[in-house]
Amino acid sequence: MRLNIIHESYNLKELHKRGIVLYIFLAVLFSLVLMRLVWLQIIQGDTLYAFSEKNLLKEIRVQPPRGVIFDRFGRILAENLPNFALTLSPQYIKNTEDLAEHLSPIIDIPAQDITHEIKKSIRQNGNYRPVVIKNFLSWTEINKVELLKLDFQGIDIEELIFRSQPYKDLFAHALGYIGEVSSRELPRLQEKGEIHVQQGDIIGKSGLEDRYDSYARGVPGISFVKVDAKGREALGESLKFLGHIDDLPPKHGDNLHTTLDLDLQQAAADAFKKTEYTGALIAINREGEILALYSHPTFDPNDFSKGITSQKWSSLVNNPSKPLRNKAIQDHLSPGSTFKPFVALSALQTKKISENSLVSAPSAFRFGNRTYHDHTQTGQGSITVTQAIEMSSNVFFYKQGLAVGVDTIAQYAKALGLGKLTGIDLKNEAPGLIPTTEWKKLNRGEPWQEGENLNIAIGQGYVNATILQLANAYMAIAMNGKVYQPRLINKVTNPRGDTIQEFPALLVTDLGDESKPYYISAENFKVVQKGLYRVANGEHGTARSSKIPNFIIAGKTGTAQVRGFSADEIYKSCYVRPLKQRHNGLFIAYGPYETPEITVAVLTEHSCSSSKSVPIVRDFYQSYVAKYHPDRLSKTKDMK
Amino acid sequence: MIHSDIMVSDPSKSLFRRINIYLIGSLIALNLIGLVNLLSATTNIARHLRGVFNDQMIWISLGWLLIFFITAIGYRVFIRLAYVIYALNILALIAVMVIGKSSYGAQRWIDLGFFNYQPSETMKLAMILVMARYLSRFDPRIGMDFKDLLIPGLLIGLPFALTAKQPDLGTALLILMVTGLMLLTMKIRFRVLLSALCLALIAGPVVWKVGLKPYQKNRVLTFLYPNRDPRGAGYNSIQAKIAVGSGQIFGKGFRNGSQSQLEFLPEKQTDFIFCVLSEEYGFLGCIATLGIYAILLLSIIQTMIMARDMEAALMCVGIFALILWHVFINTGMVTGLLPIVGVPLPLISYGGTSTLTIMAGLGWVSSIYFRKDMFG
Repeated sequence: MRLNIIHESYNLKELHKRGIVLYIFLAVLFSLVLMRLVWLQIIQGDTLYAFSEKNLLKEIRVQPPRGVIFDRFGRILAENLPNFALTLSPQYIKNTEDLAEHLSPIIDIPAQDITHEIKKSIRQNGNYRPVVIKNFLSWTEINKVELLKLDFQGIDIEELIFRSQPYKDLFAHALGYIGEVSSRELPRLQEKGEIHVQQGDIIGKSGLEDRYDSYARGVPGISFVKVDAKGREALGESLKFLGHIDDLPPKHGDNLHTTLDLDLQQAAADAFKKTEYTGALIAINREGEILALYSHPTFDPNDFSKGITSQKWSSLVNNPSKPLRNKAIQDHLSPGSTFKPFVALSALQTKKISENSLVSAPSAFRFGNRTYHDHTQTGQGSITVTQAIEMSSNVFFYKQGLAVGVDTIAQYAKALGLGKLTGIDLKNEAPGLIPTTEWKKLNRGEPWQEGENLNIAIGQGYVNATILQLANAYMAIAMNGKVYQPRLINKVTNPRGDTIQEFPALLVTDLGDESKPYYISAENFKVVQKGLYRVANGEHGTARSSKIPNFIIAGKTGTAQVRGFSADEIYKSCYVRPLKQRHNGLFIAYGPYETPEITVAVLTEHSCSSSKSVPIVRDFYQSYVAKYHPDRLSKTKDMK
Repeated sequence: MIHSDIMVSDPSKSLFRRINIYLIGSLIALNLIGLVNLLSATTNIARHLRGVFNDQMIWISLGWLLIFFITAIGYRVFIRLAYVIYALNILALIAVMVIGKSSYGAQRWIDLGFFNYQPSETMKLAMILVMARYLSRFDPRIGMDFKDLLIPGLLIGLPFALTAKQPDLGTALLILMVTGLMLLTMKIRFRVLLSALCLALIAGPVVWKVGLKPYQKNRVLTFLYPNRDPRGAGYNSIQAKIAVGSGQIFGKGFRNGSQSQLEFLPEKQTDFIFCVLSEEYGFLGCIATLGIYAILLLSIIQTMIMARDMEAALMCVGIFALILWHVFINTGMVTGLLPIVGVPLPLISYGGTSTLTIMAGLGWVSSIYFRKDMFG
């Protein structure tokens, strides 16, 4: 113990001596700071004093022009226009009311609205954020405001960039809209490493503007202006301070080259506007390129570029037809009879039937203790699979559904891209649903009921799909099972025009691959294709009114109920129901039949019948033929 | 076994002689400088911040009560409870992480109603305590070897990881730097130092790649290349430099700093308070203030040299390091020597936790000086 104490006291004495370390640290660190102070306050003192006294720095963030968006032929779909905007900087305003009184007659905005805007901005963003009071000033307004600037502090005219979509509401859902980054989005973007984004920056909020924002956005620049002590811009030579501050020019965003075709998009909109229905159209080609993507009703993205008013915003949000939704990719719905080709393929491939098997299809089918009805009173007699598709026989497919079973149907339907995200380059895509016995056990906690196979077979029950998925799957059926990933962007180029990224066609699944469990033979695809041909061309075809001269299309109609799961209620008294409970009309068709180029899917919401979708598809194909096969068009004229 | 009472009753060791007047004097001076500066920094600040001056008065008063209290009860209590205090503080850090999860982003405090308790601040003190207790067993003549550093490494690593995770990298680094100086004072074998240096060189790029959040990288990059992001930290740094430099030799006078008064400075009552001081009182004012800091720090070294046991001496080293690093990092950041880090200027910046932490630490020093001649 004693020894320990002595030992420790030796240690302590040694430690006391080590106080020298602390002296050294103190001396070195304080010298560093002192030297720095000498440099700043004595050597550079005069320069810096001059800066602080007369030339205060005000920095202005210069928004970059976003990349231009083109259609597949290089026509401009979204561009940037100059916008002279009146902004006020609250930090320099002495008397808000007085300023508002003087501004009001010049820009034709009530004084109380101006003060209200300023106060709102101070509340939300503090004193330092300039407030945009009016966009698109005219030259006379600019001149008058310039005069007012002499008497009032804090007024500025800024040259801003206006993001314009010249075709207004035509491409709203595909291109989307832009807006100022919100305080909720900002931290998320910075987490993702987007460190350049700051409050006040413009980002894409929906559609391609959002999905490809990191390409299209560009990088803001910084411009430093000298201001006097009262915040007014001081004239003089451009500012160079200690060699540290140079203006940083903004970096232009990259250009997006879409797969869209302006003419076809216009045709889609025109076809929809001829009807009274809401809904959507999507057209997709052999490589998964989307040529038209239209959702009706639509909205004008330019309203968002201007800074949308709260009235306009709430009218969009509260509109029961949901104009902001992209119904082609966000709404998954019962595919109804458009699902029957998938059941037919399953039945053929599992050899439950062959091309020529005759199956009796009466008007009703009894299973368990329930009766399931066809949509006709008479039934179709004994029919083959192609006839069953042509006439959309329910009973024929009830029987196939029972024979094949839900899990096998699901295997083929999923391979064709249903029940999962297609991977389209847009956000908020709905995955849809193809049920299996395992799915039901996991999600509903119940075993699969055999009777449910009947509902599945006619595309009701748990089955859900977007028209994007259906269009893509029909395109695959037309190509004997080649499923491509749908996409809207072909390539991205930089402002100089060099390609910086290409997005080539991507084959997702090939059902023609014999080694795969989902293999379907080309012969069986042919059988179903014949059925689809008869839908549009046969004498009993449910879409025979869609025929256009010299261009053969093939497809399938579907009338799908919105509520309830029982198959026999589908065709009852649709028109007397409340609008939101009426059936959806669907028609999906590819063409030309011999060498398929394009598939079009149309949804008319709550139209009660697929026959409402058929004319839209026909109109669209007429425009398609006029543009891509004008030779066939002239033939018709000759014949007349 | 003989003397304790005799020493106390020695008339030459009167109560007054047992108080470190350099410490107390410089502390009072810094308090006054801080308050005057705060008056200047808050002239045209938004209404809800007007209470800043009154708040700071309250914190300083509480700080003085703490100093008297700690001097009265003595520092040995803290040493005895070192591991308990350390463990409780670690728990509080974990609690903050759990509570912080429910709110958005980083949360560094626990709301105690009247006071936002920031465990990462008291962690600095707990760290000093626990290190003082553990290191006291070593012989400063030999120097610490790898195996000796295992436990200190764990003791430092845990709070470092927890604060870095918050993320409060400033505090995490301060914990590292304060304990580092304590270890250095205890002497570290040369080969250990060399390996640590190599490790830092290797680990640096790795930490940069995976350990830092984008905003943290941004600050460092901005410091290295001010042109890169002149709007954000670059802008603040430039404005701060103008403020400091424009004070020149004599300064612009009380409430006359145009940079400070025209709101070109961010956070000017807290982390950037040194700008206000140097703009309004110039080089002379800065020298005087740094001089007073130097007196304070020297008085701590003086106390350390007189300390009667290892733990006490090491505690002094820790408090010395705490104040020295804070002053250096803060003034270095404001003058553009270092990147922008949220570190307050001790006793001058506004803020309850910072003021109370530093003053509690000085309470220990005062208590150590008070008992320097006793045996116990």
